[in-house]
Amino acid sequence: MTRWFEDIILDENFDLGSHTFNADEIIRFATLYDPQYFHLDAEAAKHSHFGGLVASGWHTVSIGHRKMVDTLFAEEDRLRAEGKEPGVSGPSPGVNSMEFKAPVRPGDTVSYQLVVTDKRASNSIPGWGLLFNRLTAVNQRGELVYSADLVGFSKLRDYTMPLKLRVLLALTKLPVIGPLLKRRS
Amino acid sequence: MTNPVTENRRHFEDLTLGEVIDLGHTLVTKDMITSFAREFDPFPFHLDEAAAKASLLGGLASSGWQTGALSLRMLVDSFLSKLASAGGLGFTDLRWKSPVMVGDTIGGTVTIAELRRSETHPQWGIMALDFDVRNQNGKQVMTMRLANMVETREGAVA
Repeated sequence: MTRWFEDIILDENFDLGSHTFNADEIIRFATLYDPQYFHLDAEAAKHSHFGGLVASGWHTVSIGHRKMVDTLFAEEDRLRAEGKEPGVSGPSPGVNSMEFKAPVRPGDTVSYQLVVTDKRASNSIPGWGLLFNRLTAVNQRGELVYSADLVGFSKLRDYTMPLKLRVLLALTKLPVIGPLLKRRS
Repeated sequence: MTNPVTENRRHFEDLTLGEVIDLGHTLVTKDMITSFAREFDPFPFHLDEAAAKASLLGGLASSGWQTGALSLRMLVDSFLSKLASAGGLGFTDLRWKSPVMVGDTIGGTVTIAELRRSETHPQWGIMALDFDVRNQNGKQVMTMRLANMVETREGAVA
């Protein structure tokens, strides 16, 4: 998470907190991104097998992402307050799997948890590592709402750029050669 | 039991393996990117142009979750809203191939990659959909395989 890649401990559990979904936000998200009748219209949703309004899976997942980001920022603030420099996380290359289990209904409270299951240095981006995260979301009855295997970038603390790359990087900053190099890549 | 909302829509039996759905297009504006980011993905590289330029993304880009959500919206408009869809089961192999930047127009296709009856719920079929989402230059921005349940006509009658 907010630690440097080298300091990440596998199988450690991070509690990301919880979120209570209300009908208004379920409908607002669905209107923008997933306007299917069981996410949009409580009356029509009664005819679906859900038997009522349910949140878009993409909505519960987006909230889960927000909870992860908030936890990350809080941890960064805590480290800085202790005079430590937090690690750097980057954009995610993707999601290996996402399974929607129990539907989320208005009034449900969903709790999110994250475990780093594996990590390795990136082959494509020097100086960065990949974290393999398992995110689980559970409702107030203890039912699994979804489970996801996510991949994230995390910056290496103890990385020294090889000389060849340092020279290339310096060249890209020159006014004439730089644009040519960038066009090639 | 007939579902009055979906009875006149396409059902599982009407789908063909290999069928290609055109997603149409969506213009991704700065407002869209920052409003999604404020709510769901408030990393500085999704909110602030200077921070974004200094990041791996190289400029203000949409949250990957937003790219997915907008792709889903295009799928609902072009396909799922005309289908007896019974909800999503999840997805596999989602890859954010390249960032979606301010002013990009995304679109692409979805292909029906798999059709099978549910073993546990015979009133439903399961379809797997392969997303190929690209920007205005034809560059791939996202791929994934989504699994979605569809009501069968048979199940509706039983």
